[in-house]
Amino acid sequence: MAQLVGSLRKELADSLSSCKVLVVGAGGIGCELLKNLVLTGFKNIDVIDLDTIDVSNLNRQFLFQKKHVGKSKAQVAKESALQFCPSANITAYHDSIMNPDYNVEFFRQFMLVMNALDNRAARNHVNRMCLAADIPLVESGTAGYLGQVTVIKKGMTECYECQPKPAQKTFPGCTIRNTPSEPIHCIVWAKYLFNQLFGEEDADQEVSPDTADPEAAWNPEETAARATASEKDGDIRRVSTKEWARSTGYDPIKLFNKLFKDDIMYLLTMDKLWKKRKAPTPLDWQQLENSAHPQEESPTTSGLKDQQVLDVWGYCQLFQHSVESLRSQLQEKGEGSELVWDKDDPPAMDFVTAAANLRMNIFSMNMKSRFDVKSMAGNIIPAIATTNAVIAGLIVLEGLKILSGELDSCRTIFLNKCPNLRKKLLVPCILDKPSLNCYVCASKPEVTVKVNVQKTTVLSLQDKILKERFGMVAPDVQIEDGKGTILISSEEGETETNNNKFISDFGIRNGSRLQADDFLQDYTLLINVLHTEELERDVEFEVVGEAPDKAPPPQSNQEEVNSITNGNKDSAQPSTSSKAAADDDDIMIVDSDEERGAPSSSAAVTTSTKRKHPDSETSETSTKRPRTDQSAAAAATDDDNDDIIALD
Amino acid sequence: MIEKEDPVISEEEAAQYDRQIRLWGLDAQKRLRGSRVLLAGVGGLGAELAKNLILAGIKGLTLLDHEQVSEESCRAQFLVPVSAQGQNRAQASLERAQNLNPMVEVHADPDRVEDKPDDFFLQFDVVCLTGCSRDLMVRVDQLCSQHNIKVFCGDVYGYYGYMFCNLGQEHSYVEEKLKVVKPSPSSNDGPEAKKAKVDPNETTMVKKTASFCNLKEALEVDWTSEKAKANLKRTPVDYFLLHVLLKFRTDKGRDPDPKSCADDSQLLKQIRDDVLEAMGLSGDLLSDEFISYCFSEMSPVCAVVGGVLGQEVVKALSQRDTPHRNFFFFDGRKGNGVVDYFGPN
Ligand SMILES: [Zn+2]
Repeated sequence: MAQLVGSLRKELADSLSSCKVLVVGAGGIGCELLKNLVLTGFKNIDVIDLDTIDVSNLNRQFLFQKKHVGKSKAQVAKESALQFCPSANITAYHDSIMNPDYNVEFFRQFMLVMNALDNRAARNHVNRMCLAADIPLVESGTAGYLGQVTVIKKGMTECYECQPKPAQKTFPGCTIRNTPSEPIHCIVWAKYLFNQLFGEEDADQEVSPDTADPEAAWNPEETAARATASEKDGDIRRVSTKEWARSTGYDPIKLFNKLFKDDIMYLLTMDKLWKKRKAPTPLDWQQLENSAHPQEESPTTSGLKDQQVLDVWGYCQLFQHSVESLRSQLQEKGEGSELVWDKDDPPAMDFVTAAANLRMNIFSMNMKSRFDVKSMAGNIIPAIATTNAVIAGLIVLEGLKILSGELDSCRTIFLNKCPNLRKKLLVPCILDKPSLNCYVCASKPEVTVKVNVQKTTVLSLQDKILKERFGMVAPDVQIEDGKGTILISSEEGETETNNNKFISDFGIRNGSRLQADDFLQDYTLLINVLHTEELERDVEFEVVGEAPDKAPPPQSNQEEVNSITNGNKDSAQPSTSSKAAADDDDIMIVDSDEERGAPSSSAAVTTSTKRKHPDSETSETSTKRPRTDQSAAAAATDDDNDDIIALD
Repeated sequence: MIEKEDPVISEEEAAQYDRQIRLWGLDAQKRLRGSRVLLAGVGGLGAELAKNLILAGIKGLTLLDHEQVSEESCRAQFLVPVSAQGQNRAQASLERAQNLNPMVEVHADPDRVEDKPDDFFLQFDVVCLTGCSRDLMVRVDQLCSQHNIKVFCGDVYGYYGYMFCNLGQEHSYVEEKLKVVKPSPSSNDGPEAKKAKVDPNETTMVKKTASFCNLKEALEVDWTSEKAKANLKRTPVDYFLLHVLLKFRTDKGRDPDPKSCADDSQLLKQIRDDVLEAMGLSGDLLSDEFISYCFSEMSPVCAVVGGVLGQEVVKALSQRDTPHRNFFFFDGRKGNGVVDYFGPN
């Protein structure tokens, strides 16, 4: 009989006390994980998290108390976990794991890396760092009642990026600006409006009527004519929304009448839009005020104030008050300052609630409570202690297998809401082999991208294709033109002058090859350029071999879609990642999964084509597992991810 | 029973519980807010369960445990400070448990659960038993089910763990289903919503009931009938493992101890053979492998079982969502978690 230390063989217990591990993220999963690690006997633990503690974390991030709100998660988590085992050696970093300080050398000092993240950008990055350093990684995620744990080892298993993730759903500009048909369109519009008025202006976040909407025109000439006309269409549209708002002194009533009356009247003139749709109804401040019933204080209901839906005049008043508050916030910050939208800033949240609801009313939709608007606008994933506890327990169990040299027995494990037809609540599945054409872990990663070389700038190649789509942090790009022309350099000041030029200006055309390198990630990607002039409106590029906007999977009874989720992302900033939330804030995954349990969060459904093999111990050999009630749907949307690895 | 008063959720609670109210709704949170739970046995699994229930925001939790803090009994127990060796385990856990959520009334009781009169159990809505003997669990389960009190049992043995629940003969609960929104010409979720569709934000509550048996019935399944034998292949062996470990506890008055690993391993083998024989089953059903993996409470296994168990208590108290009927077994080596029913049909 082997000697035991607690439940563990002595050799394993000894190796735990001497090895060093990294925990990336000290949020919902991270807190539970740190506890499990120290109690299991891990002694050398580094933990990194960019975030600070918020009151809404306290229902599950049990290493934090109310007195810790505002402090560094990593630091407080370390101090609390040390109380469980004062002899442990825990190092806390209040930082982003994407910071270049954490290079391949940094990763190489660990025997094991465990992700407890909440966003895809950081997950992609850690995946690459662990591949580059050849360190095993345990990846995890939770959303509501659902969760997943998996193991990634270079050359032996799939990496995090082997299977294409579903693209984040974006909405066409004209749907947002002209023809919203769902509450989410109005909420996205309201967030754009916030930025246009108070924040950083972004050309991709226009809120005024889109006169070039192809659907609005009876013929192409007319579109062009209208587009030209709108250029001359008076001062309102010529100056930026912000300039105009400032010129009115942020007068709430003037803003109201422009946004909810004049702009809507203008939309009504685009009569073709309303042939098959119900036309919007403009709102008029004066009229609403005159017909408003004196606000009777409703007797205290048992519900929360936030969960009540006001009447139209109620939202008019909320609009007025929130504009006034935001105006003073701007004034306090001084000349030329900008506000950043934050769902936890009451006036900012009130503003979006009011503006979205007024627009919903105009477009004949049922209005929504502030509580519901906040879920959608803030991409809030419901999160509970128990799911995180289960997942963090599973992470350590997989970690123990890795440290015992039993990588073969590692599994991807799904936590379902209800047991599946084979009675499993926790479903272990065999790990897949690396995908040969993975654009990350293949021996020579290569992709083909369709773009219009005459319309794609160097900056959008860098930001939208290399950083956003291919997860690079600081890319260098060289054209394989025989001369080795440097198109993009990660060194500051070297190639910025190229930014606003089109890539065709550098001789890039159909068939050109680009070599993109990320030094930090030790990652090189070869990009084949396919020139096209036939991309859809609002689509800047397409990766060949991948549908541009994948449809959700069929929700048939034979399919079980299990998903890894984002984790409990619930702050505006992706924790442990330096990426600004603004990048993806407005992008949501919206779907109507009929099995979804959560009432007020948007569901994300995953669309991977991957199929998992049920664990070998069972007699069934079918790779299709019956879908069980509610097990499948991940109610997961996130600020910048929706990280759902879908399996079935 | 769950208190009839309709406790108002304050804005402070709403802020702290926001992420779970978005999952299970305000009504469920209110029901939790009015519920009292007894937790007997504050070891590793007990600590996990206590944490999960206190974080969820129940009204009161009583930690009942007569044991003293020792290294082995607290290996996976994060509520006990390292300086508390020799103190009563419930009392030593109180401060950290309370710090998890000041809005919950947490009490410590150092008595033996065996010594508690029947009346004691009747002040709770849910009674959870961990580390208890089979006889005691059967007694408390019977008492509670007569008084409509929900009972949960659970234990962790090394890499293995289980949960049992008895929510009574008729447990009522609601389940949320998405509502099919009928098209209406005047007001709906948008001018383009012409056909009936489900709105991810519109749901209805469907009322359901589930029926549970006593622990005694669940443990005394007759395996000699042809029908039971036919089902054997689809029965998780973890059920038989549980019988073996409960028998060990009854015989020795403790669980397998790493310090007497060799002796306990021999005994486990013997008990395995005896238990299966008494059920009329072959000893092959449970191979020797489990023996080296069933010692001491293992922290990550406590986390998994305590997570599932905690969520089941939340579901039972809030009367929301289909409960797992009536056993959950976890095998930490396989990562496998099975829900299965044992008892009269
Ligand atoms: Zn890969």
